[in-house]
Amino acid sequence: MNWLKEWRVRIALVLAVVGPGFITANVDNDAGGIATYSVAGAQFGYTLLWTMIPITIALVIVQEMSSRMGAVTGKGLSDLIREEFGLRATFLLMLALVATNFGNVVSEFAGIASSFEMWGLSRYIVVPIAALAVWGLVVHGTYNSIEKVFLSASVFYVCYIVSGILAKPDWRAAALSTVTRPESAGFRNYGYLSMIIGLAGTTIAPWMQFYLQASIVEKGITARQYKASRLDVIIGCVFAAVVAWFIVVACSATLHNAGRYDIEDAGKAAEALRPLAGEYSALLFSAGLFNASLFAACILPISTAYAVCEGLGLESGIDKRFEEAPAFYWLYTALIVFGAGAVLVPRFPLFRVMVLSQVVNGILLPFVLIFVILLINDSELMGKYTNSKWYNVVSWFTVAVMIVLTIALAIAQARG
Amino acid sequence: MSIVALSELLGAAVRDASGSVRGRVREIAVAPQDHPTRVTYFIVKTSDGERIVTPDALKAAGASVRATTDSSQWVRYAPSDGVLLLKRDLLDQQIIDVHGRKVVRVNDVELESIPVNSHLLLNIVSVDVGARGAIRRLSKGLVPSFTLRALLERIPPRVIPWEYVDLLETDPARRVKLKIAYEGLAKLHPADIAAIVEDLPPAERGAVFETIDEEVAAEALEELDPDIQVSIVESLDKGRVADIVEEMDPDAAADLLGDLPEQRSDEILEEMEPAERQEVTHLLEFGEHTAAGRMTTEFVAVGETASVDDAIEALKTFEGSREAVATIYMTAIGQKLVGAVPLLKIAISSPTTQLSELSEPPVTCAPDTPQSEVAALFDKYNLITLAVVDEHGRLAGIITSDDVISMLRHTH
Repeated sequence: MNWLKEWRVRIALVLAVVGPGFITANVDNDAGGIATYSVAGAQFGYTLLWTMIPITIALVIVQEMSSRMGAVTGKGLSDLIREEFGLRATFLLMLALVATNFGNVVSEFAGIASSFEMWGLSRYIVVPIAALAVWGLVVHGTYNSIEKVFLSASVFYVCYIVSGILAKPDWRAAALSTVTRPESAGFRNYGYLSMIIGLAGTTIAPWMQFYLQASIVEKGITARQYKASRLDVIIGCVFAAVVAWFIVVACSATLHNAGRYDIEDAGKAAEALRPLAGEYSALLFSAGLFNASLFAACILPISTAYAVCEGLGLESGIDKRFEEAPAFYWLYTALIVFGAGAVLVPRFPLFRVMVLSQVVNGILLPFVLIFVILLINDSELMGKYTNSKWYNVVSWFTVAVMIVLTIALAIAQARG
Repeated sequence: MSIVALSELLGAAVRDASGSVRGRVREIAVAPQDHPTRVTYFIVKTSDGERIVTPDALKAAGASVRATTDSSQWVRYAPSDGVLLLKRDLLDQQIIDVHGRKVVRVNDVELESIPVNSHLLLNIVSVDVGARGAIRRLSKGLVPSFTLRALLERIPPRVIPWEYVDLLETDPARRVKLKIAYEGLAKLHPADIAAIVEDLPPAERGAVFETIDEEVAAEALEELDPDIQVSIVESLDKGRVADIVEEMDPDAAADLLGDLPEQRSDEILEEMEPAERQEVTHLLEFGEHTAAGRMTTEFVAVGETASVDDAIEALKTFEGSREAVATIYMTAIGQKLVGAVPLLKIAISSPTTQLSELSEPPVTCAPDTPQSEVAALFDKYNLITLAVVDEHGRLAGIITSDDVISMLRHTH
């Protein structure tokens, strides 16, 4: 029975640190992510499924570095950037972070709106309620209580898995395309190539690095628990990838097979699913979209406010009162109010704001990733927890590929 | 005398006696063991490596720095860990604002430059943690300096005088060399220390608890969240932890040790003085969420024939917490509880009065009473302290109202 006890101890160790990595990876499947996966499935069927494995590996590598840095230094990423690279670099970085995260918040509220609109509920009812709920949750919560809400929200991603099963895909073909090398002919197709860039580009966003590291610190995970924390990151990334896989498969089995290649976003995808895969599949799909959008809408404003205030040395924290940390609360409130407002204002240039935020995202990400690698190799900071040589080769390679793809995405979007 | 900001000095052109630019300021060093605030030297980056220029060879220090010596006389810089480098160790780093009782980040450092004879004395005056320092640095080189100065004068300063600054340093050897001792912090109320410590990263938390007085450390530790307590205790060596734990209230010490891995708590117990160890081990045997797990064994008890005067004598020698003295307990032979006298009655009665005349029947509970019932008793009888009595009627310990408040706060 010894092994049983040993396993129990091990599982307890992992459960104690589970949360930050799992939540971050799941939030990555936000409104924007789901839209990209839906479009990828609708347009190209199973032929893009092979990207899932390399994308997951890249995600794990980048996230692992952030969580390691949080556990070892006990400081947030913006704190470290401030301490090592100075005020000016931090300020510019934070400015860009606010800009790109604002765009993300807008797209989350747009996701919330469209997930209900197809069932006939007006966005003028849904969006204000959601915005108020998001605002209230954080102002009245503690890290532990919020984490529980977020972890339960992660479970709702199962919606997509069920929705994928209901779509009755060709499992054998789907599984095969996931593990086989793609045909080289596809790469000459501009649309196919830009879709790959889109998939990769939505996978790693700057806010994730800030959020993950901050929540590792907030949870009080130390270098000693680091191994368990790494497992949290890996499990989270794999689960997120599985969900993404099912979205692509669902859209491909239904929309692509029916010749509906013209899907633009997740809301449209859910609507198109209705006659093809049935009421339940569409309901699950839009419920998943709502959950994902609301989830990300909760996390983005608060993590932005934390990162900015910590980097610039302003009072921050939900345990402080409004008067004690005005910048923190104003920034947080403004992101929600304007983010939700943008969706409600008629003829607001929604699309242009999102494109612009994607461009800023493309500019910001290289800096963030390079700062992460420089910091994690600083032995004064990380002690014996710096990257090993081969890990550095892999992570520099990953970062380089991600940078190229993200910039390519930004350029492609800016050109329309 | 004039005030100059560190950010203005950094990067400023340095001219030698001949008036030509020989280099730029890279760092400013202070040696706290020689003088707590005085600048010892500038590190100047020249075309011929890094050189040292001392303030007694300077006649101006501002947007441009003028030396009275020739650049060939400037000594080559060799790194030393006995000096505080203002840019590396202070700028953009976190410090403790002892006066404002919080952790803040340094935006700039203000120095005063005092002309003495034909050279300068430079002293650190304060650190800037507000918008003024931030804007000065952000717009440096982008806005003409006179416009900037005019603009900055309109911004209300948020500075912390240097004497209210406690630096954070995790390396113990360097801490000794630089005379960083958390002196200001140690003077604060333990609850304030705890609040500051919560805002610090783990390594710095450990550093604070290694340095401050054991008694203060013990009280501050009691105020912290159990999770943070554990992580701090894990980062300190067992001898130091034992010293701190000995100073803690036995009930708080038992709670803390109960949260640690068994091996670690055994190590710490071994390092403790026998008397304290015994008390804590005794408490450790009870469940944490029962009356016995919450009680302290440090209370004031006198014999049943004692007078008010005897009670006052007992109070004088009592070393336990302030909360525990609210009630004086009377015990017969074998620690048997017979009565309780509120402190107020003792204060207003004549010294010769017998305590038995003032005594009230004490409210008690058994050691295994669940903590929720303990709280209910406090509520029902408006208690300040509650006696915990074992099956033989012996007074085992007392629970004080502050324990109940923190217990309630942590269960809801």
